[in-house]
Amino acid sequence: MPDIQHYVLFPNHDNAMRLYRELKKLGVRAAIAPTPRSASKCCGVSLMVEKEDLEKIQDIADQKDIEILKIAEVEKDFNPHRDRYC
Amino acid sequence: MDKIYFDNGSTSWPKAPGVSMAMAELLENGAFNINRGNYEGAYEIEGVVLDTREQLAQLFHARNSRGVVFTPSVTYSLNYFLKGFLRAGDHIVVSGLEHNAVMRPLEQMIRQGVSYDIAPVDRAGNLDVSDLEACINERTKAVLITHASNVCGTVLPIETIGHICKKHNLIFGVDSAQTAGTLDIDVEKCGIDFLAFTGHKGLLGPQGIGGFLISERLDKQMTPLIAGGTGSQSDSLLMPENLPDKYESGTMNLPGIIGLHAALNYLEETGIQKIHRRKMELTEYFLRKVQEIPKVRIVGNPTCENRVAVISLDFQEADNAVAAFELEQRAGIMTRVGLHCAPLAHQSLGTFPRGTVRFAFSAVNTEEEIDRCIDSIYKLRYT
Repeated sequence: MPDIQHYVLFPNHDNAMRLYRELKKLGVRAAIAPTPRSASKCCGVSLMVEKEDLEKIQDIADQKDIEILKIAEVEKDFNPHRDRYC
Repeated sequence: MDKIYFDNGSTSWPKAPGVSMAMAELLENGAFNINRGNYEGAYEIEGVVLDTREQLAQLFHARNSRGVVFTPSVTYSLNYFLKGFLRAGDHIVVSGLEHNAVMRPLEQMIRQGVSYDIAPVDRAGNLDVSDLEACINERTKAVLITHASNVCGTVLPIETIGHICKKHNLIFGVDSAQTAGTLDIDVEKCGIDFLAFTGHKGLLGPQGIGGFLISERLDKQMTPLIAGGTGSQSDSLLMPENLPDKYESGTMNLPGIIGLHAALNYLEETGIQKIHRRKMELTEYFLRKVQEIPKVRIVGNPTCENRVAVISLDFQEADNAVAAFELEQRAGIMTRVGLHCAPLAHQSLGTFPRGTVRFAFSAVNTEEEIDRCIDSIYKLRYT
């Protein structure tokens, strides 16, 4: 099974920062990251999140009037466990 | 000789504590670019920019901080509004106290088929709102007024004008250059669709940063005056419709925003009412003393009623520029003399083309400084 990473995509940075801030307040894990090129032509930022939090994240965005473009699933290209200097 | 700074109508000085430090820290420790850089340092700065939008939304009682847009100055903001909203055939009403930041773009737009009427004010700058309402016609799309005159400090009744705009279904714009950070401005209560502000006067921030607050209904009708990269939707050749990107093309003045953020922190801690109260104490003190000097005329309201801490004097039977020069030479008093980029206001107040000498106080000025100024004015008239 390929390792899948979930990304929340936005129309602009402002929406990404607003959602990131809300998630942090609520203790939901998220990291700001460049949007994978395979997920969108747009070169903005997205939030890397956990699959089990997706429903909660969508609810928070709806409540706070934060615009989400889509949730993207991207196969991880890099093995995080591999020693990069080998 | 110690200098006395009474030119806070041009720009505030000193700036709020913490402003220069915050700006220097950014420049020294990583002035990364937001909406472009994809790393933690840039995201941290994005967070401060968002904080600053939220502070401004709170200060002006806006429901949503998405409508807070940064520009280089209040002049840019007013140009964005006039040139981005008005179309050929449209008509707008302004007041007789407007600055050239409003009048010059409007004059440019006459060639594009836009017309305007000026709601007259009296010799002290007070506006009778029925005169403003009488200027509205079937082509009127908006009313744009200054909240307080940059010449004489007279305050215009924005809440009442907001009601008139609502009654006639007009867009309402306010130039808050002399009142943001001084008077309480409630964009919701006053029905303001467009509030142009500057960061470097009453908000006590650095020069080069300003902005506007825009309502949803106006945003839908306004075109961005400047187009370019926003760091969002970069696959498209068209400007994004999302706020604030729609109006924020190009790299922003981040040192300016960071400085403004520090200034807003100070205003929140201190309270703008307290700052305003102190400025008005000094204004009252100055007005009371200056009225005792003959051949010096106060232009505008002679008391603290309906005014901010911006006072114009006309030195009768003398040249006002020479008076300002002598005040600076003899007593180190820094003022602004002339027409204050507001020839229309001076015409309304009866001081065109003579101009006036303007004194604008900050909360850190003192009664002793005013005493020295009054003494110098007195000597100027009698020696």
